[in-house]
Amino acid sequence: MARDEGVVTVGRSMAGTIAANTIGVIFSLFMLFPVYWVLNTAFKPADEVLALTPTFWPEHPTFANFTSAFKAPLFMQDMLNGLIVTVLAVAGALVVGFLAALAIARFSFYGRKAIILVVLAVQLVPFIALLIPLFLMLQTVSLTNSLIGVSITYLVLILPYTVWTLRGFISGIPRELDEAALIDGCTRAQVFWRIILPLTGPGLVATSVYGFIQAWNEFIIINTLNSPAKQNLMAWLLQNQTTRGTAWGPLMAGAIITSIPVVIFFLIIQRNIATGLTAGAVKG
Amino acid sequence: MSVVESPATRPTGGPAPHRAPGRASRARRRRQGASTPWLLSIPTLILLAGLLGYPLIRMVVLSFQNMRLRELLSGRTPPWVGFDNYTKVLGDSVFWTVVGRTVLFTIVCVIISVLIGLGIALLMRRVNRGVKMLMIVAMMFVWALPQLVAAQIFRWITDSDFGVLNYVLNFLPGVNFDNHSWFVNPWQGWGVITTLVVWAGVPFLAITLNAGLTQVPKELVEAATVDGATPWQVLRNITLPILKPLITIVTTLSVIWDFGLFTQNWALRDGHPEPVYQTLATYSYTQAFGQSRYSIGSAISVITVLLMLGVMAFYIRQMFKIGEVD
Repeated sequence: MARDEGVVTVGRSMAGTIAANTIGVIFSLFMLFPVYWVLNTAFKPADEVLALTPTFWPEHPTFANFTSAFKAPLFMQDMLNGLIVTVLAVAGALVVGFLAALAIARFSFYGRKAIILVVLAVQLVPFIALLIPLFLMLQTVSLTNSLIGVSITYLVLILPYTVWTLRGFISGIPRELDEAALIDGCTRAQVFWRIILPLTGPGLVATSVYGFIQAWNEFIIINTLNSPAKQNLMAWLLQNQTTRGTAWGPLMAGAIITSIPVVIFFLIIQRNIATGLTAGAVKG
Repeated sequence: MSVVESPATRPTGGPAPHRAPGRASRARRRRQGASTPWLLSIPTLILLAGLLGYPLIRMVVLSFQNMRLRELLSGRTPPWVGFDNYTKVLGDSVFWTVVGRTVLFTIVCVIISVLIGLGIALLMRRVNRGVKMLMIVAMMFVWALPQLVAAQIFRWITDSDFGVLNYVLNFLPGVNFDNHSWFVNPWQGWGVITTLVVWAGVPFLAITLNAGLTQVPKELVEAATVDGATPWQVLRNITLPILKPLITIVTTLSVIWDFGLFTQNWALRDGHPEPVYQTLATYSYTQAFGQSRYSIGSAISVITVLLMLGVMAFYIRQMFKIGEVD
């Protein structure tokens, strides 16, 4: 029986528990099936992938799909592009966003609520709606089909979330620490370097990982602004399917390669992800 | 926020006092204090204004002009056409079908996802520890998958010739799913899209709501149960009222996300969604980048944002209300 804190065990029937466990297992299998199926497909040789009677286990497991994905045109190029664009965007957003987060979390000033409102509101604007003017803007300054243009766009894409989450982390540091340091004669700058920055460390990691996931997963903007040689792996997955027929094996292998960094990062920081969106409603 | 537990408890060697703050420096600090927050915010505000604010204005301006490929290539200012684009869009029955479809999809999808999410969250408190772990791991993997990858997997599973779905369904008695194409009948196609969106959305909902359930006081539930309340009554009169603020927020977020559906129908239809698979987002995109009708696309985007404005305002108000923003 579950013995978690806060779980009520009064008035529970054995049959109910068995039923609940059964449903739980079936649900988990249903959720996992697509994940299992992509792995199953990726390790099959081509003839097994296109067998009319699909097998539930690769009979002759092979890495051929992975090697052919790596050898596919533009795969390595797009992987590198994705990495460059993502790292630039995350680094930029972190520096810029941290300053704004500091302002919102640690100062009370006229216009603070307005800034919070802007940060919250822009997270909700559908970015696709802005794609048309953005495309035209970047076109006029010749930043389409360039990694710089996309990097800046991604930076702005993840900036609001970065500000919002870091604000939460900074608010978590007791203000008394700042005040004590100020009384002891620290300047504001010293408070920042010696107290706030070191204590926000874990928050910076979590936020940058989330930003990484956002930028890495994006494909609509990069697919619209840039030609295939300057796109990322997500866009590569999309291009791959428009060629004659679909090479399912390599595509699924490519999908796995593309997902691995994101899945690993996600699993590391999953505790922090939901908090930014629903903060305050869960007092865990 | 339960994000950082450590900072408060971690020992911090207080910085050594440098000099006694004189009156002059304190006054300077106060003056500095007034402008510092703005100085810190300026880079963020400039970037947001430049790449979100300005495009937003440009989008509105564009919707009153007539920007076609010719103007794009020559760089000439497109002619002003007043409300022409809006009359064209609003007078088009195709547009209204797309609006209706997007709204219907959003309603159906949000209701199903939130109900399943809530159900799973409650279930997680009833199952054994091992099963709970399995459920969390399964949901984490689904949550972590990029949307596009998930859509590709579903496209493969529902493939008409080699998809495993048709193969499995063929085991049902009296049906033949050989070479069945799931996207010929729009209801079936939207069924696949809805399944994909719900499947991908449930982990966030279930795990967030399950975290919220820890707020429900154990004593309250036990007392009610001992007094003879049925599980249903406990749910309706104790659990749900306590969970309500959280449910409101995740529902609002789901509405915003589902209303902006793009990736799933885009990828499942090979980047060329047929008219019956268009949502507002893909419709606007196709008009602009598929047919070079940038102004019509902008007008559709403006209408989309206006339609969403109420929901967004509600979300922000809710965030202010729960006191997170102070």
